[in-house]
Amino acid sequence: MLLDVRGEICPYPMLKAVEALPRLKPGEDLEVLTDHAPALQTIPAYTGRLGYQTRIEPVGPGVWKVIVFKGAQAS
Amino acid sequence: MTTAVQPARRVLPASAIAGTAVAAGALGIGLYTAGMNREFPLFWAFGLAFGFILQRSRFCFASAFRDLFLFGSSRTLKAILAGMAVASAGFTLLQSKMVTMPGLGMLPPEAHVFPLGLHLVVGGVAFGVGMALAGGCVSGTLYRMGEGYAGSYAAFAGILAGLGLAAHTWNFWWDRSISSGPAVWLPDRLGYAGALAVTLLGLALVWLVVEALEARSGFAALAFPNVPPAATASPALQGGWDAVRGRTAELGRRIFRDGWPVLVGGLLLGVLNVYLYVAHMPWGVTGELSRWAIKLYTLAGWAPGPLAGADQLPGCTLTVGGSRLISHSLMLDAGMIAGSLIAALWAGEFHWRVPPHRRRWLQSAGGGVLMGYGAAIAGGCTIGALFSAIPSLGLNGWIFGLALLVGAGAGTRLVRRLA
Repeated sequence: MLLDVRGEICPYPMLKAVEALPRLKPGEDLEVLTDHAPALQTIPAYTGRLGYQTRIEPVGPGVWKVIVFKGAQAS
Repeated sequence: MTTAVQPARRVLPASAIAGTAVAAGALGIGLYTAGMNREFPLFWAFGLAFGFILQRSRFCFASAFRDLFLFGSSRTLKAILAGMAVASAGFTLLQSKMVTMPGLGMLPPEAHVFPLGLHLVVGGVAFGVGMALAGGCVSGTLYRMGEGYAGSYAAFAGILAGLGLAAHTWNFWWDRSISSGPAVWLPDRLGYAGALAVTLLGLALVWLVVEALEARSGFAALAFPNVPPAATASPALQGGWDAVRGRTAELGRRIFRDGWPVLVGGLLLGVLNVYLYVAHMPWGVTGELSRWAIKLYTLAGWAPGPLAGADQLPGCTLTVGGSRLISHSLMLDAGMIAGSLIAALWAGEFHWRVPPHRRRWLQSAGGGVLMGYGAAIAGGCTIGALFSAIPSLGLNGWIFGLALLVGAGAGTRLVRRLA
């Protein structure tokens, strides 16, 4: 599932990512599109506490994708 | 748990070229202003350095306080404490050269020692709520303007509006609270060694408390990178020049492209603050902004009257400027925006970001008004009234910090509701 939170600043990228997690289908990843660098820390930190793993992919200048997933591998 | 990271793409050369062009322009401004005043290039350089460090380490006073409430994270707060500890030692040495015999009621010039009283508490709480709402403090607003956050421009306008409103009510606060408040400078009572020891112990104590909070929240057990580290494609070390080149490139990447650990930012800001005090005065941001706010209010035909006693107070109090446009403080504040812009461009992180909802614009502007008002009656923002005040060995910095915490707690609840 793609969650576009570009333009949002702290703490909203993290709050919205956490809020979206229960809506995921089993085995589905959450892809958070953000242009707020501090979210690259807050999302992994908070979702990590909920037992998720994260991977960060740069998308463009000042834009990143934070992929939140459960289990050993993200698709 | 660690976060796996994909190899990062190369920074767009266009962005690097633009950053270098802005840096060259900044150099030109430094040379040009040298003709007006010998001190202007110096303050410009300080501003550029502050802005650069703030951007690279994503330093954020708002998150330092907010994240304690949001998820028990104290990383940024600990970086602030470390920076203040470094600055406290430097400030104490400097002050001991200025006032060789403390205890006679003499205050060192430029020290951010502000009268205690209700104004400090109200100002700190208002500022704390405001920075949580706006998602950044005043210094955060300045450097995010350089990074391309449209919302920060709204916050900046709010800060100016709030400073002007406070100028209109300044005499109320002066008469009832500020003029009668005692300015407590610790070396007066404890001597220099005692004042520094108490300050460092206080900082250590806060460190331990937030560390305990963090441990209890389960946050400390998580390891995660500060920001995506660079692709760990360390070139094969073939000895000789290749190795040097490879390592230099690696170092360059870590400085200019990847974010820095926030603790590095805090320590550097603390050191730079000591240098600035050696040069002239401790770091402060809002005094100059208030000069512009009062100018703008006057232009709009709503001039605040004379401000009783404001000119006898140290730090970042309301300043009524004359007709001059450029001042050393302006060079410092503008330098922070430019330094951040250069850092963001070189890192390939500059990007014009527009808030997705109309509500966010109001949040930023409203938070800005609260910050401007609070900073005006408390003698500064998170920089002037906290980051430079605690190292100035004044008691006011500690009280402002506590009030900030209360305000940020309330502000965080508000921010959650506005999601």
